[in-house]
Amino acid sequence: MPDPVRLALAIAAKDIRAELRSRTALQSALVFAALVLVVFNFARDPTVLAATDLAPSVLWVTFALAAMVTLNRAFNVERENAALDGLLLAPVPREALFLGKLLANLAFVGTVELVTLPLFMLFFNVSLGRALPGLLGVTALATIGFVAVGTLFSAMAVRTRFAELMLPVLLLPFMVPPLIAAVQMTSRLLADRPLSEMWGWLRLLALYDVVFVTLCMMVFSAVVDE
Amino acid sequence: MTGSSAQAAGVVQRGLVLSAIGLLALGGVYVLALGYTPVEVRQGLAQKIFYLHVPAAWSALLSFSLVGIASALYLWLKDPRLDRFAAASAEVGVVFSAIMLTTGPIWAKPIWGTWWTWDARLTLTLFVFFLFIGYLGLRAAVHDPAERARFSAVVGILGMLLVPFIHLSVYLFRTLHPQPIVLKPSAPSLPPEMLTTLLVSTLVFTLLYLGFVTARYGLALADEAREEARDAA
Amino acid sequence: MPPEPPQNGEYLVAAYVITTVILTGYWVALWRRGKAIVSGKGKT
Repeated sequence: MPDPVRLALAIAAKDIRAELRSRTALQSALVFAALVLVVFNFARDPTVLAATDLAPSVLWVTFALAAMVTLNRAFNVERENAALDGLLLAPVPREALFLGKLLANLAFVGTVELVTLPLFMLFFNVSLGRALPGLLGVTALATIGFVAVGTLFSAMAVRTRFAELMLPVLLLPFMVPPLIAAVQMTSRLLADRPLSEMWGWLRLLALYDVVFVTLCMMVFSAVVDE
Repeated sequence: MTGSSAQAAGVVQRGLVLSAIGLLALGGVYVLALGYTPVEVRQGLAQKIFYLHVPAAWSALLSFSLVGIASALYLWLKDPRLDRFAAASAEVGVVFSAIMLTTGPIWAKPIWGTWWTWDARLTLTLFVFFLFIGYLGLRAAVHDPAERARFSAVVGILGMLLVPFIHLSVYLFRTLHPQPIVLKPSAPSLPPEMLTTLLVSTLVFTLLYLGFVTARYGLALADEAREEARDAA
Repeated sequence: MPPEPPQNGEYLVAAYVITTVILTGYWVALWRRGKAIVSGKGKT
């Protein structure tokens, strides 16, 4: 019985390969993200609202919405191919299955975020410079948080009626704490504030991730098994 | 009517009677709140909304916590009674949350000058409301009872664990909400008439919670009894 | 002359009315669903 981590990586790799072939989730999400950024840019009055005030919120709303689009598409593709059923029949530990799905989803959402970031810099004329490593760290932590819950809920949502509606309705409240923390930290990072001002938010993010990744992994079986 | 259906009807009736008593008692609370308590000088008459808003908030949070606990227990014990109870508690919780979310802004407007603020308590109440709605929406969207119970339980547990994080998030901001003047370790700083009325109101709201949940639980039992009868036929 | 409390009675009335409506409305809804079982028709 291969060790669960290797199993998870194998599952993730399979999903990623499948997505690279079809590119459905990535394409929709990228187009969506670019669109959101453009709309935000045209919607504000540059003489009234400075880009730096609005920028962190815009960035994170974009990331959050793109993540939801990605998660939805990814699981829909999965359901259409009935790939999950095959995996479930095999004696794969559910935790490994969840971890594999999580890693794949993180790769998808992470890709969208990495492409969105330079677009964001371009449209909002924001230079990241020294803030970049911190920003990447915050992005990684926040994304882990909402993709963990998102992976669990999308597995549930695809089994319900109104799946497209169910995922956002269920997921949005859970995205709020990591989003608030991420926006607060992004805003301070861009303003070059010292780490001491972000410490509380960072701890909240880390705690959120630990609690919810563990919890989602534990209850995943209740969702996919009869 | 089949035996189990009659039993269910009995439960519903008990619940209705209990909550009817609660409603009458609520009338008594109104009398206390409007007549017996003094008018607060700085806040005026609107302060008396407090006697409804705070107990409604307690009940909503009670409902919510019980949904979370019942959910966790269900995943462990798989007892369908726990699932039925969770569904009942969620529905009743939505009712109390609705009261909280309407009386809250109506109180806030004359006192703080604004309908809404994103402080700890109001934000938390809004989130609990959304979580309830999501929970009930999910239940409506899943047909198979066992699957519905499992999925609801998952959302219930996650929802319960989300609450401290919402609280923490908002705490890291400055809060506008009045400091808790009832639950301080030393004597509460409310005049005795206000404290008494508040406690009585809280009891009445708890009674309403119990009555409503019992009735709602009975309705779920009746639904299941009818499904069984139909399947057997 | 003691300070006058602000005149905001209409908010009080609104809140108490809404609360009453919601609670009695819910009771009535439960009661009607209960009646539907006894007569054996309709979904609760």
